[in-house]
Amino acid sequence: MIAGSSTQFPLLSLLLWLPLAGVLLCLLLRKSANACRWAALLFNVVLLGIALWIAFSVDTGSSGWLLYEDYSWIERFGIRYTLGLDGISLLLVILTAFLQVIAVLISWQIDYHPAFFYALVLMLGTAVLGVFLALDLVLFYLFWELMLIPMFVLIGVWGQQRRVYAAVKFFFFTLSGSLLMLLAMISLYLLHGDQTGVYTFALDALKQTELSLTQELIFYICFMSAFAVKVPLFPFHAWLPDAHEQAPAAGSVDLAGLVLKTGVYGIIRFAFPLFPNAAEMSLPVLALLALIGLFYAAAIAFKQTNIKRLVAYSSVSHLGFVILGLAAWNQTAWEGSLLLMVNHGITSAALFVMLALVRQRTGSNDLANMGGLWQSQPKMSAFFLLFAMASLGLPGLANFAGEILILIGTFASKPVWASIAVIGVLLSATYMLRLVQGVIWGPCREPMKKEDLLPREWLLLIPLALLVVWLGCYPQPLLDPIREPVTALLQGGRP
Amino acid sequence: MAQLLAAIILLPLIGGVFNACFGSRLPRPVPAILASGAVIGSFLACLGMLPEAAEGARTTLFTWLNSGGFRADVGLLFDPLSSSMALMVTGVASLIHLYAAGYMEEDEDQVRFFALLNLFVFAMLMIVLADNLLLMFLGWEGVGFCSYGLIGFWYRKSENADAGRKAFIVTRIGDLFFTIAVLWLFALLGTIGIEEINSRVLEIDPTVVTIISLLLLGGACGKSAQLPLMSWLPDAMAGPTPVSALIHAATMVTAGVYLLCRLFPLVSLSPIAMGAIALVGALTALYAATSALCQREIKRVLAFSTMSQVGYMFMAVGVGSVSAAMFHLLTHAFFKALLFMGAGCLIHLAGHENDIFEMGGMRKFSKPVFWLFMAGLFCLAGAPLTGGFFSKDLILATAYAHGDSFHLAIYGLGVLTALLTSFYSFRLAYLVFAGDYRGEAHPHSLPKLMVWTLPLLALFGLGAGLFNLPHLFGGHSWLSGWFGRENDILHLSLQTEYQLIATAVGVFVIGWLIAHFRYRTYSGPEYNRASEFLLSAWYVDALYDRLLVRPFDLFCRFCWQGGEMGVINGVLDGLASGSQGWSRSLRALSDGKIPRYLQGFAWGFLLIVGWFLLKAVAK
Repeated sequence: MIAGSSTQFPLLSLLLWLPLAGVLLCLLLRKSANACRWAALLFNVVLLGIALWIAFSVDTGSSGWLLYEDYSWIERFGIRYTLGLDGISLLLVILTAFLQVIAVLISWQIDYHPAFFYALVLMLGTAVLGVFLALDLVLFYLFWELMLIPMFVLIGVWGQQRRVYAAVKFFFFTLSGSLLMLLAMISLYLLHGDQTGVYTFALDALKQTELSLTQELIFYICFMSAFAVKVPLFPFHAWLPDAHEQAPAAGSVDLAGLVLKTGVYGIIRFAFPLFPNAAEMSLPVLALLALIGLFYAAAIAFKQTNIKRLVAYSSVSHLGFVILGLAAWNQTAWEGSLLLMVNHGITSAALFVMLALVRQRTGSNDLANMGGLWQSQPKMSAFFLLFAMASLGLPGLANFAGEILILIGTFASKPVWASIAVIGVLLSATYMLRLVQGVIWGPCREPMKKEDLLPREWLLLIPLALLVVWLGCYPQPLLDPIREPVTALLQGGRP
Repeated sequence: MAQLLAAIILLPLIGGVFNACFGSRLPRPVPAILASGAVIGSFLACLGMLPEAAEGARTTLFTWLNSGGFRADVGLLFDPLSSSMALMVTGVASLIHLYAAGYMEEDEDQVRFFALLNLFVFAMLMIVLADNLLLMFLGWEGVGFCSYGLIGFWYRKSENADAGRKAFIVTRIGDLFFTIAVLWLFALLGTIGIEEINSRVLEIDPTVVTIISLLLLGGACGKSAQLPLMSWLPDAMAGPTPVSALIHAATMVTAGVYLLCRLFPLVSLSPIAMGAIALVGALTALYAATSALCQREIKRVLAFSTMSQVGYMFMAVGVGSVSAAMFHLLTHAFFKALLFMGAGCLIHLAGHENDIFEMGGMRKFSKPVFWLFMAGLFCLAGAPLTGGFFSKDLILATAYAHGDSFHLAIYGLGVLTALLTSFYSFRLAYLVFAGDYRGEAHPHSLPKLMVWTLPLLALFGLGAGLFNLPHLFGGHSWLSGWFGRENDILHLSLQTEYQLIATAVGVFVIGWLIAHFRYRTYSGPEYNRASEFLLSAWYVDALYDRLLVRPFDLFCRFCWQGGEMGVINGVLDGLASGSQGWSRSLRALSDGKIPRYLQGFAWGFLLIVGWFLLKAVAK
């Protein structure tokens, strides 16, 4: 199982703690906003560079961990500092690094305590990376909760008018879920210790714990309550629209692109493998909630007038698709779910970037105050159209590749679920076209003073656009590295 | 050869992407030239590939998706069916691009127009040449997107953008069925390759074949504007005229027919599905023809005629003749593109007036346009010996040849539709060309490119009958042979053939005569309940609004107001304010007043003592 050894250069630790070093630097440089900006950008670019270097230098086709680090940490309680990287985490690490660069670039003009802002964005990076890499339950939990703090402050301080309400809602929602998970973790740890005499929080060891079905179900529900809130799965999604609506652009990008993905990652890395029998029993429930969420969120998105809320509900709808794929429990559907996770991360981040640019020009998030953007900003509108089409699942653009694999995989085992989900694809067209209609078509509301795209904005949008097209036309480089891990998880999950 | 085949689809793609990215930096005519050049190049590549088509040329560019057992390649298939369609698409598209270069001369958003038009040709060719269903679906959705963007091209008027959205969503309802069919076929056969599916259809259970075929029909109905998913096409006329000619007449709306022909070995296995296809086609043909009777806008007349003619093609597939369907598809593409482009000229001449009641006497404005447009109308009306006559006749004869009552009913509907078609074609002709000019505009001059591109289409429209001339007229049904569908060639008795031809000619003449007496002299617009009913296309839009749009809106509002704001957020806010209330009352206990603390202490002390006392007593 263990390919890398802990005597090698600790690449994963470097990856993990690099953003935190950036946090310190930002705080040291807090006198100069510009220095902080560049420092944040530099750290994230370097992070992206390292992540890509790892992707090209390891053999992604091999099974097991591509990189692995394991040190003892708090021996008394059997807590270890264990990090592992397989194909799935590799993709998510690259996604994290990339979206962090985007998040810094889109908030280039922050002038309210910039040092703290960038420090928080960087800190969020470490937390998310930690979630994607940790293999010790306590370590995982630490990073899991660490995500809360920067996000809470980002929304609560740099948000819009109702920011405090949204931040508090976000905080309590996610915290109440994760506290249950903590309880389950400790109980599992004690049970395992009683059974084997070895008290450990290591994921691999805990998988071997013998549990009665009732125990398994209780623990599983506790874990899932943490993950389902983050995903967010219907009906635990109510925090997301408020958080998105109020969050600053970087917050929305990270929220949609990264934080939601940690929930799905937690499910496949922890909840399913630890409690395979409970997981198997829960699949129809998961599928049902996913399908309800798919429709329900799409219907609500159709009635939104606030563009950020509209896109937020579209995220709930898309994540319903991801969960549906997981519930189908086969190779194609899982690969589709993981692909859609990455692709949705990029398209929704791109859409939130667009919304931020639109807001900078119109000064509003309300559809009632928009229209006819193409007239004054044709280039920006073209990008908007591209990302909206990607989001509604136009073949050849990012989201479709994941969605169709999910549908194919799901149809193989559950044709009715898949057929119902296809209708969800139709609904995504209704709200997305409404968004496009309201923002870029129609008569021009008022002459906009601001020029079309600035050089910095080009720099932001071109990589996103290229990725959206590339991932839609040739997603194979993403599918290859996740094949082995998905197979392993599927086999390890169900007995 | 593989490179040449790839060039067919890559040239328009490159043209479109290049124009989209850099077109706005180029001087005025360059984007139009690039776009036209790309499509003409693609046409030439098609011609160059033609010798290979009989054998079937294949090439795979790369693997698009490969996961688990699923694999979708970007692979192209150039066989007789796809090659004739590809030639038509690129040929007609070349002419329309040139026409558009004249038509859009003045438009400031030219670049967007040509980028989308080129992308459309790429996507359409993807439908035609794809060797698997998922790739075909890529083209299928791609043309939908381009159509959306081009219908709403003049986006400043909200109605135009709304029409584009309507087209996108209504066709997507059809796509939903198409998607399920693809998923199901893959689940059954483990492949989505078109040739493989066609060769392995017998492995599938007959009931499932029927359901899948009906799903495919649903998909085809959306794209081809057939009942009940037809309501988007008349609105789609909001787009620029070259778009109507290319997308909403010649190519995209026939994609449904092409899909059914492509999977004909599958579809033809199910008699129920075949009957449904024929019936949908016949009913749509009749519905659209009646709706065309009273239209006032020239492009809407043509839109309904397109819907009606595509109905004939469905009818042809349903009665089992791929070659009749493709024959009519090809001739229709030529004469309908001609009609739309001619209509564009007429609208231009009349100072951007769309209403035929405001035209009249327009034969004097431009003789060439008059004759060319009339050539198109003759084909549409099925004048003897024109392309439209032969192709329509073949469809009706095939239906008739079946002999049973169902097919005779289909035949009857077809003949009735032909009568109406002849009538509304000549109504259009008389209202536009006869009498004196009723409008106010001073005649505009036409860009030369707009007129020069028409004769070639007229030639093909009128002469297309030669492609598939029946034996009776000394031909050898070449097209049927080319498709390898010799079975489609009818062997009717001479007497029957003459009867059928006499009926077709008779219907054409009667329709003309009625129109002649009714519209030879303009007697002003007339309104009555019947014409209102037909003008609004049987009030279908209003009906769908009541049946679908409003309930959907209601459902969405219910989820939003009731579910989200009411229940979920209500419960959450209730919990929040509840716990705030609790904490407030708890806080009241610790308000720093010593007497209250003492009181609490006393009560607690009493309780504990009491409890111990009780225990002691119980012992």
